Amino acid sequence: MSHTPFILASYLISTVVLLWAGLSPVINKRGLLRQLKNRRARMDKVQ
Amino acid sequence: MNPIYLFFHKTGSPPWFYRFSGRLIPWLWVGFAILTAVGLYQGLLVAPADYQQGESVRIMYIHVPAAWMSMMIYGLMAIMGFIALVWRIRIMEVMVISSAPVGAAFTIIALVTGSLWGRPTWGTYWVWDARLTSELVLLFLYFGVIALYNAYDEPRKAAKAAALMSIVGAINLPIIHFSVEWWNTLHQGSSIGTSGNSIHPSMLWPLLWMAIAFKFYYGANLLSRARVRLLKQDHRKRWVQDLLTEGKS
Repeated sequence: MSHTPFILASYLISTVVLLWAGLSPVINKRGLLRQLKNRRARMDKVQ
Repeated sequence: MNPIYLFFHKTGSPPWFYRFSGRLIPWLWVGFAILTAVGLYQGLLVAPADYQQGESVRIMYIHVPAAWMSMMIYGLMAIMGFIALVWRIRIMEVMVISSAPVGAAFTIIALVTGSLWGRPTWGTYWVWDARLTSELVLLFLYFGVIALYNAYDEPRKAAKAAALMSIVGAINLPIIHFSVEWWNTLHQGSSIGTSGNSIHPSMLWPLLWMAIAFKFYYGANLLSRARVRLLKQDHRKRWVQDLLTEGKS
């Protein structure tokens, strides 16, 4: 039995999981900042 | 004031923590990238194949450090949870809940890579062996902490519940560690310990580089998550408003 597919699958899955876990706070932060800035702009307009 | 005490005192302040962690995170990512490159180079290109496991031993350079991280992070969550409950330090509450998804990610990696290693070595992807089952329970504990936190509307109450669950769940850590000694398991015992190693240095070094690299990853990811959570919790406070004005967020 060739071990290569198992090794490649292990490294590929690990990379995907680490990328997902690493990028999700960056994406969340961008979304949150956009939301906060929009809210602030709306409040400034009202005042 | 003692500089170390002063540092911990400052860490309790969200604005200070936010600025300090923002400066630290890029360095942690750089450390992670360098150490991973060294670990992967040694593990995939320099280290020899194992005389019994063959080439599949290369999965160990991911599997073992990920399994160590899955346990270390839960242990840290229990310690931080204890500090959060006893001394009511909000940063610690944030750190507990920010650690959980990173710990869950490492547990998933440990379980999946272990399963992929098991197929060519043991002839099966999964057995209900004490080590594998207790590691799966750890994954459910991580999911439980995340679900419990999200079940509350009030972040401080949610953090207290999550901290308490982290402390109670820590009972699983010695079970995972000693499972290979307490029960007759298919999973082998530790090759690395305080009393000595049964692993050749050419295989030990890539394992250690990857283990240190994952710690840098955890640090960078934890701080990134904690910063987002602090921004979310404090979005009406002055320091967040100042950050938005300055555009240095």
